[in-house]
Amino acid sequence: MRLSIAREKLQEGLSAVASAVPGKTTLPVLGNLLLETTERGLKLSATDLDVAVSTEVAADVETAGALTLPARKITEIARELPAPSVKISSSDQRAVIECGRSKFKLLGMAKDEFPAFPAVAYDRNLRVKSGDLQRLISHTVFAVSTEESRPILNGVLWEIHPSQLLMVATNGHRLARMQVGGQYGSDDVSVIIPPRALEQVRRLFPADEELEIGMSENHISFRSPLTTVISRVIEGPYPNYEQVIPLDNDKTAVIDRAALTSALRRMAIVASDQTHRVRLSFNAALVKFSVQTPDVGEAQDELPVHFSGDPLEIGFNGNYLLEILRYMPTDDVRLTLKGPERAATISPEGWDGGADYLCLLMPLRLVD
Amino acid sequence: MTRIAVLSSEVADQIAAGEVVERPASAVKELVENALDAGASSIDIVVEDGGRTLIRVSDNGAGMDPEDARLALSRHATSKIRSITDLVGVGSFGFRGEALPAICSVSRLQLLTAAEDGTAVLVRAEGGHVVGEESAARQRGTTVTVGQLFYNTPARRKFLRSARAEWRAIAETLVTVALVRRDLHLTATHDGRKALALAPSRSLRERIAAIWGNEYAQRFVDVDAVLGPIRVRGLVERPADVGSASRRIALLINGRPVRDTGCVRAAESAYRTTLAPGLRPSLFLEVTLPGDAVDVNVHPAKAEVRFHDRWSVERAIEFAVRRALGSPSAAAAFGGIRRAIDWPLQSDVSIDRPPLPSDLAAGPLFQCVVPGTASATAPTTDDPAALPSLRQLRRTYIVYESDDGVILIDQHSAHERILYERFAREIESGSATSQRLLLPETVHLSADESEAMEAAADPLRRLGFEIEAFGGSSVIVHAVPYPHRRFDALRCLRETLASLAGDRVPTAHARHERLLATVACKAAIKAGDLLSEAEMTTLVRGLASTSLPAHDVHGRSTIVRLGWDELDRRFGRR
Ligand SMILES: Nc1ncnc2c1ncn2[C@@H]1O[C@H](COP(=O)(O)OP(=O)(O)OP(=O)(O)O)[C@@H](O)[C@H]1O
Ligand SMILES: [Mg+2]
Repeated sequence: MRLSIAREKLQEGLSAVASAVPGKTTLPVLGNLLLETTERGLKLSATDLDVAVSTEVAADVETAGALTLPARKITEIARELPAPSVKISSSDQRAVIECGRSKFKLLGMAKDEFPAFPAVAYDRNLRVKSGDLQRLISHTVFAVSTEESRPILNGVLWEIHPSQLLMVATNGHRLARMQVGGQYGSDDVSVIIPPRALEQVRRLFPADEELEIGMSENHISFRSPLTTVISRVIEGPYPNYEQVIPLDNDKTAVIDRAALTSALRRMAIVASDQTHRVRLSFNAALVKFSVQTPDVGEAQDELPVHFSGDPLEIGFNGNYLLEILRYMPTDDVRLTLKGPERAATISPEGWDGGADYLCLLMPLRLVD
Repeated sequence: MTRIAVLSSEVADQIAAGEVVERPASAVKELVENALDAGASSIDIVVEDGGRTLIRVSDNGAGMDPEDARLALSRHATSKIRSITDLVGVGSFGFRGEALPAICSVSRLQLLTAAEDGTAVLVRAEGGHVVGEESAARQRGTTVTVGQLFYNTPARRKFLRSARAEWRAIAETLVTVALVRRDLHLTATHDGRKALALAPSRSLRERIAAIWGNEYAQRFVDVDAVLGPIRVRGLVERPADVGSASRRIALLINGRPVRDTGCVRAAESAYRTTLAPGLRPSLFLEVTLPGDAVDVNVHPAKAEVRFHDRWSVERAIEFAVRRALGSPSAAAAFGGIRRAIDWPLQSDVSIDRPPLPSDLAAGPLFQCVVPGTASATAPTTDDPAALPSLRQLRRTYIVYESDDGVILIDQHSAHERILYERFAREIESGSATSQRLLLPETVHLSADESEAMEAAADPLRRLGFEIEAFGGSSVIVHAVPYPHRRFDALRCLRETLASLAGDRVPTAHARHERLLATVACKAAIKAGDLLSEAEMTTLVRGLASTSLPAHDVHGRSTIVRLGWDELDRRFGRR
């Protein structure tokens, strides 16, 4: 392998893939990046076996070749290079990197040691706008579960329908769902994706790029002309989330999001540092907040609210509520409620973002 | 020039008596032990003037026939051993046959004894010589009356202390006996005033309550552990209570009260960091080990023993006490006497109320960190109550530097202790919170697990689990506790039921504690969980505010302190 590449291009490629390198691994080669020459230049790849990322950057290739190099070292070297043009050559498992008057020899490992990317087919002709996907991801992934006992909930459900995309995440206590409309092929597809892969997708593709979606039995791939993210999928079926979305919540409150957020933050100071339980009591014109924490103290607050329905008292994990509010895109939010043991919904009020966004929150109650 | 002469046996007896009977208390001790050796179930002691004018010990034991009664007053007459080999693992208190003659040689003594109800013999002696014998009437048993102790050895009499001090020593002796033989009916009067009146007790705790009052008895934790051939039982003081009443130590080896600093130190070292420097716990410990592992014939007053393997004995004691301190009951003294502990972080942290700003006290352990909220930030360095910087080792231990050494905390054990105490408090006060589930989960249980589930239904509900029976061996979980952000409720429930399955814990109380300890264990973060700095901070602070920070609910250490002294020594700086 022998090539020359602009320092910026090398840095760009490295920063794209470096975050896919696992921090700690029992398989040493995973700490390396795979460098391969292509017709267009240099392709860099990294994987932790669950998620694989590769990207191509422009380079002048003199002789083709491939090897793996320690990700940390090559990234640090690229960051410190003194001149705009870099030459990389390799023989056996040794790379020589030359730039200006600097010269590095770096020991790597053979290309064959690097795990092959799983094969996926792009035969379903599925294309989505990166921006739509980013929006779905950033509004739902926060709700995902980290509990090991329900591995399915550790993933995010993504559904592709001919006229809409939908993403759902839940940890069993709260749920976030977003839908956007559009034209998305002719199939109905449903996959459960680890959040780490979605994080890469959100990060790596510019918003205006069209992504091709590839599938195999166990993998999903997101591909732009230069960059690919492949991920293992979590085996389903995903629980029937539609069934738990309440349709008969007969009490509605419309509240200023910023005011609600700061009231909840004030309550959080005194709320139990473990359960974060905050009590909300709604009546026609006011929502009253209160917390009581043994050994700490009490706090009360209130906000004006547009509320319709019978008065209601309900407890929530204040942190869950705060988190949901962070993702609400409008100044006002709409809460719907049924009873102190039933799910509440939170949605943006008066939103014309071309998408449908809904969060559910289950109450936290005092054991009697 | 003085000529060498063989001492008359009378003088020799008086010298030997000095070893056995140095003061009234030792005479009382010998007489009471004789009564116990004779199988007495009831002993009455009368003392006057600190034992100087009168010591009378009456028992309902086997008694002696007239011939034995006379023999008992001559040296090396014993009915308890015949040859030196019998000494190994000797089971009686007396075995030298020298106590009665020794006492007799320095007092005016009357021995009234009957081997059968009715016909008794009364032997009178003065300074070791029998001066009279007559038949008398008495129920089976023996009364030894010691008058004018040391009347014929003025030098020794001069060394006696005040009547009050001598009586105190006698009382201490009697208390030791009362603790050793809890089945004993024991009364004592001093100068006509009743000092002790004990009915048989069923347990050591009951005995202690009878002697010092019920409240005092409640400050102890039960010890009961077996390590190899060694069993250690008894009561040790709860760390939080140490220092608030005078210290009492009783150590029994194979039922024999002994003094042994090594054993006491072993017990104390089990307390480790739970005590402020200078505080030492009260201990009542009984060690049982094979008779051939211990030699009791070391000291004439029989207060010392020699172990053939001292290290094993001390290790067993330390293990047993540490386990006891780690047991749920060691921590269950909610609302008991509370004192400041020597917590390594801040000397002014008291158990009741750590003096931390509220937003730090309500620190961010395991909470969802909402970016931008003040409480989600780690304490800054200008915070006066700031912790030293904490590091995680092997995703298992938290380490930091303190004034007196390097402190290591086991993250799982520490969290387990925090949760245990919180759950107990929540169950008691009914303040647990319950997170309802969006997607109720079905859990399948084995027959044993179902049974365990039924037995624990109420406490589980009060912890926040809402569980519905669902035909056969399945249950549906509708709501779960929410003790911290990493809590995995279903895994906790499954593992708890699996480990309680097939349990046969006898009492409701023990069952309850077992459940709490199990849930706390299963709910706690595990070794291997990567903790943020903020989580470590809250964990360390949470541990500091528990009632027994140094031990987890299984008796393992949560804290290990490597002192600077020790480090300096290892590096050859000292
Ligand atoms: N209260 C008693 N009831 C019945 N027998 C007794 C009583 N006191 C003493 N004897 C008898 O008298 C013997 C001598 O007692 P003494 O206390 O002198 O010796 P010991 O108990 O055998 O050994 P040691 O001197 O070590 O205590 C005992 O072995 C026992 O047989
Ligand atoms: Mg004796």
